[in-house]
Amino acid sequence: MTGRAEFIERIRREVARTPGLFGASTAPRPAHPATAALTVRRELAERWPEALDRFRVEFERVAGVFHRVPDLDAVPAVIGGLARERGARSLVTWDPAALGFDAASALARDGLEVVAARAGEEDEAARLRHREQAARAQIGVTGADFVLAETGTLILLSGSGRPRSTSLLPDVHVAVFGRDRLLETLEQVGVMLEALHADPDRAMSGAMINFITGPSRTADIELTLTRGVHGPKEVHAVFVEAP
Amino acid sequence: MSDALRTPFSGRAGAALKDAFLQEALKIATTKFIDLRKESFSGFPQGEALRDRARAIKEATLQHLDVHLERLADHVERLGGTVHWATTAEEARGIVLRLCRDRGVRTAVKSKSMATEEIDLNEALEHAGVTPIETDLGEYIIQLAHEKPSHIIAPAIHKTKGQVAELFSRELRGEFPADPEVLTAVARKALREKFLQADMGITGANFAVADTGTVVLVTNEGNGRMVTSLPRIHVALMGVEKVIPSMSDLVVFLAILARSATGQKLSSYTTLVRGPRRAGELEGPEEFHLVLLDNGRSRQIASTLREALYCLRCGACLNVCPVYRQIGGHAYGYTYPGPIGILLTAMLKGNASVRELAHASSLCGACKDVCPVRIDIPRMLVELRGHLDREKIAPWTERVVFKAFRRLLLSPTAFRLSATVGRWLQRPFVRQGRLRGLPLLFGRWTRTRDLPPVAARTFREQWKDLR
Repeated sequence: MTGRAEFIERIRREVARTPGLFGASTAPRPAHPATAALTVRRELAERWPEALDRFRVEFERVAGVFHRVPDLDAVPAVIGGLARERGARSLVTWDPAALGFDAASALARDGLEVVAARAGEEDEAARLRHREQAARAQIGVTGADFVLAETGTLILLSGSGRPRSTSLLPDVHVAVFGRDRLLETLEQVGVMLEALHADPDRAMSGAMINFITGPSRTADIELTLTRGVHGPKEVHAVFVEAP
Repeated sequence: MSDALRTPFSGRAGAALKDAFLQEALKIATTKFIDLRKESFSGFPQGEALRDRARAIKEATLQHLDVHLERLADHVERLGGTVHWATTAEEARGIVLRLCRDRGVRTAVKSKSMATEEIDLNEALEHAGVTPIETDLGEYIIQLAHEKPSHIIAPAIHKTKGQVAELFSRELRGEFPADPEVLTAVARKALREKFLQADMGITGANFAVADTGTVVLVTNEGNGRMVTSLPRIHVALMGVEKVIPSMSDLVVFLAILARSATGQKLSSYTTLVRGPRRAGELEGPEEFHLVLLDNGRSRQIASTLREALYCLRCGACLNVCPVYRQIGGHAYGYTYPGPIGILLTAMLKGNASVRELAHASSLCGACKDVCPVRIDIPRMLVELRGHLDREKIAPWTERVVFKAFRRLLLSPTAFRLSATVGRWLQRPFVRQGRLRGLPLLFGRWTRTRDLPPVAARTFREQWKDLR
């Protein structure tokens, strides 16, 4: 078996032998990621309406469904409506603290079974219970940490109270977000990811980041586009106007 | 060695040419991919500059590959992951098998990975009593049918929906119609159970970010998310050339990868895996293992095929290649088909393995034009042909002909003489001003093409009078 030192040494030897290299450089990294991220945020504080319009166009282009509500109080009605139309009985959501609102009581009045993840819960029993609930639920409700206009993409960080399966196992994924999550370009996403990793607390929060661009899709059988092969068949984005 | 390799390349290609369904499927699929790519880049003016950036990043990374790999390993370990170093395919298989054995793994769910195909991992797992389950729909079909993928990103394009319906009906016991929507739903149900039960998830990696210890997976179906979120162990296998320095680099590649492959702005899912699950996290694997695979790659860092190490595995060069479009992926006979596949095969299996394949290219350059990182495939193919000649791997007839040709071109007298002789010899074969139906070895050329004859008066002869 090869050890690290031996493996790296072989590569180092080959690298040293490389003839006639031309000058090449990697992408410029922000010197102060946190400051760069703040600058992006400040710019977007003014430009968010254009970013939102672009997001809507791109999101709908990848078969996403866009909703706009005045404030958080109006969100449960949207989710309740989706559940009714689809005959859905059960929902899973992120922890209300991670989500920014508590949908459970309002939705329970509609006769829906709502299971919210709880931050800090991480023992084996809770894990199995949650998995079973998520696999059974027809709708999963999450927030979105970044919303990328250029490509119609929702970016979600996993972590305490933010299970990975909420946006993956149910047939319908609903992501709720406000204006402060909007970004315009992939380059800005790069800045945000640099800033995230430069901040020791946030860098160690959850182990997974998912970029979600529309529903799960495949074209593996005769190039026929089919949605919902493994992940959600529908993705909904709910924009909350109130800052 | 796969069964396909028992017949020579010309036989494999010939069979593909006679397969009417394959011909139709290839035409439709490759044309569609070409159109989607073109459309996607036409509305994206910054795309060309990003391709240059991406190429520069790959080159800059290779120039310090050792440093980036060490950095990647340090960060993966800092996050609680384990890094394994595999010089050969055999070592890589051994590492995965040992993990399975030590941890009592019975089933492993896999998301599409060319690297695991490259090391024939599935056969090794089965042999060791572990059931590997491919979960990308195309790969799942291929696995049920006991076949090999025929396209890097659309592994089952050679199969009809009728064939898939028949296959599913037999293997999954049911009566399923030849409807892609229904068949996809059938696979969803069958595989959902597997995701929830499997002990191990096995993936490749589209990128690995050295700065942060992040493995990046790009998928459309969501299976990549399943296998990295549900089983208790995640093993990622990647070629060493997949490492990139930073998140700022990553977004450059993301902007052009899906566009080149399927014409999407981004694939449905881009998944960033940063080690095993963290404290406070309910889901995710307890263990994360990264297997770094060399398997002949480092030998090329300072050699002919260096640029092939830039490859992102997007499949764009397959779609535009006039040879691939005619014969499809299986006829190539190895894991990686198409123009880049020839170079990768030479890299991984040695030059002797591409004795015939090195000529399965018209050197038209279409591959280089569409490559997101502008890999100069035609140049490397020509150099590879030179190597085959010098290493005496090329057939002796080819070497003799080229040696003679070289003599001819180097001597003005011999060249002049050859024109005179040629003019005389060609007489019986000139019809309607073209050379047709040549005898012997040359007949294989003129069977499907013609040639301009040697002119009645050569340029040199005319030049004498004009002066």
